[in-house]
Amino acid sequence: MPEKGMIKITDGFERIVHWMLAGSCILLFITGLGMMYRELNFIGNLMGGLVALKYVHNFTGLLFIVSLVLATRMWWHEAGKFSMPEDLDWMMCAGGYLWHVEKVPEIGKYNPGQKMFFLTVVGCGALMGVTGLVMWFPVGLSMDLVRWMYPLHALGFVVLFAFFFVHLYLGTIGNPGTFMAMIDGWATKAWARKQHPKWLREMEESGKLEVYGEEKTEAASH
Amino acid sequence: MNTSELIKVIDTTRCTACRGCQVACKQWNELPGLRTKNWGSYQNPPDLEWNTWTLIRFQEYVNDKGTFKWMFRKDGCMHCTDAACVKVCPSGALYHTEYGTVGIKKNLCIGCKECIAACPFEVPRYNRATDKVSKCDLCLTRLQSNQQPACVKSCPTGALSIGGKDKMMKAAYDRVKELGGDASVYGDKFVGGTHVVYILSEKPEVYDKLPKSPSIPLSVIAWKDWLKPLSLIAGGGVVVGSLLHYILHGPKRPDEDVSGDKHAEGGK
Repeated sequence: MPEKGMIKITDGFERIVHWMLAGSCILLFITGLGMMYRELNFIGNLMGGLVALKYVHNFTGLLFIVSLVLATRMWWHEAGKFSMPEDLDWMMCAGGYLWHVEKVPEIGKYNPGQKMFFLTVVGCGALMGVTGLVMWFPVGLSMDLVRWMYPLHALGFVVLFAFFFVHLYLGTIGNPGTFMAMIDGWATKAWARKQHPKWLREMEESGKLEVYGEEKTEAASH
Repeated sequence: MNTSELIKVIDTTRCTACRGCQVACKQWNELPGLRTKNWGSYQNPPDLEWNTWTLIRFQEYVNDKGTFKWMFRKDGCMHCTDAACVKVCPSGALYHTEYGTVGIKKNLCIGCKECIAACPFEVPRYNRATDKVSKCDLCLTRLQSNQQPACVKSCPTGALSIGGKDKMMKAAYDRVKELGGDASVYGDKFVGGTHVVYILSEKPEVYDKLPKSPSIPLSVIAWKDWLKPLSLIAGGGVVVGSLLHYILHGPKRPDEDVSGDKHAEGGK
């Protein structure tokens, strides 16, 4: 539960879209692995057989595509474009994640690492959607084209599966205080000062910052 | 059939295109005949289908000396040793039998169509109504009962024969020597050797729909041999790397509060 003085990081719509994307993605991982590895075929038994698993995978893919479109539209403005030179400065010191950095360059709402993550998800997600649909309905297309959909789908999985664990780590124990921002939307000011100092300052200066237990200063809807 | 590894030889020079094998295949395997259109060829049905596992391809060919020739080739599953379809099949429906042939367990097929794109001979076919793929299994149950496949049994000219690998390959090469000219054995030089082998009277590239040097597609190698293991290696690498990061570098915690914010330790 949020405590007094905590600040609003995400709105409800963002969290719903995030969890639609995350949920469909994880279900696609599980069902996809159930087909990729014969040793994991038993996952199909939980769904009433491997045929059912195939359809769970295919239709979850449609939900994933919808979620991806919503997420892309929603976050493109803030996370889809780099703002130089501060993003470059941040990247040069890897955001202080890999070695000791005295003063991490200040960045806005999303740091370049998050932006790269977002763009990778958008790119690979689109690749998964397109290749997946062709694999589902391969009729009428040239065999040479259809053939390459499978390794491209696997390539997208390699990237997204690895990135999933990066995201899981950085969204939980790697950055204490972050996880609840995707659950109830609140984080501490100290967290924001450490993670997104420029954004915090801008929000405070513009009076848009929503603080728990305080009246909104002006039209503060996100 | 008692012998462990079987080879079916198709001697195209002895085939008269009577299509007895086509009919025998349909009868034994209970495959329905579907109405087709006359498209100006005796080749009928026009192509392999879920209900047509073998087919005589009729081809009119004029060689470089201007001689006309009508060629017949019995098409169907080649039963590869390195079978791309077995490699990609997610459920184990396609598998190698005790004879080296490629069998298909219909109940395991999930209709994913991955084998269709993988097969270098474009043999497996999808049936939308049953959501399953089918192809020739070289009459596996007949082999297991010490019987010849239906097509071989029906062949009146001796164009089709089946037997142990060494014996059949020797007979095939003897026959090619006898034929001379451009005649060749087709099947033993690629995909680990096929269990259906042709004796061709012309060079392989002359024949319609017959790949000159078939192989497991590079896309299948990239997918199953490279990317599939890489997915687990990369995922596992990230998990280990994250844990190492946590204990060596440590998480990024908010700084100790200096401005009276009481939640300095992050939102625990």
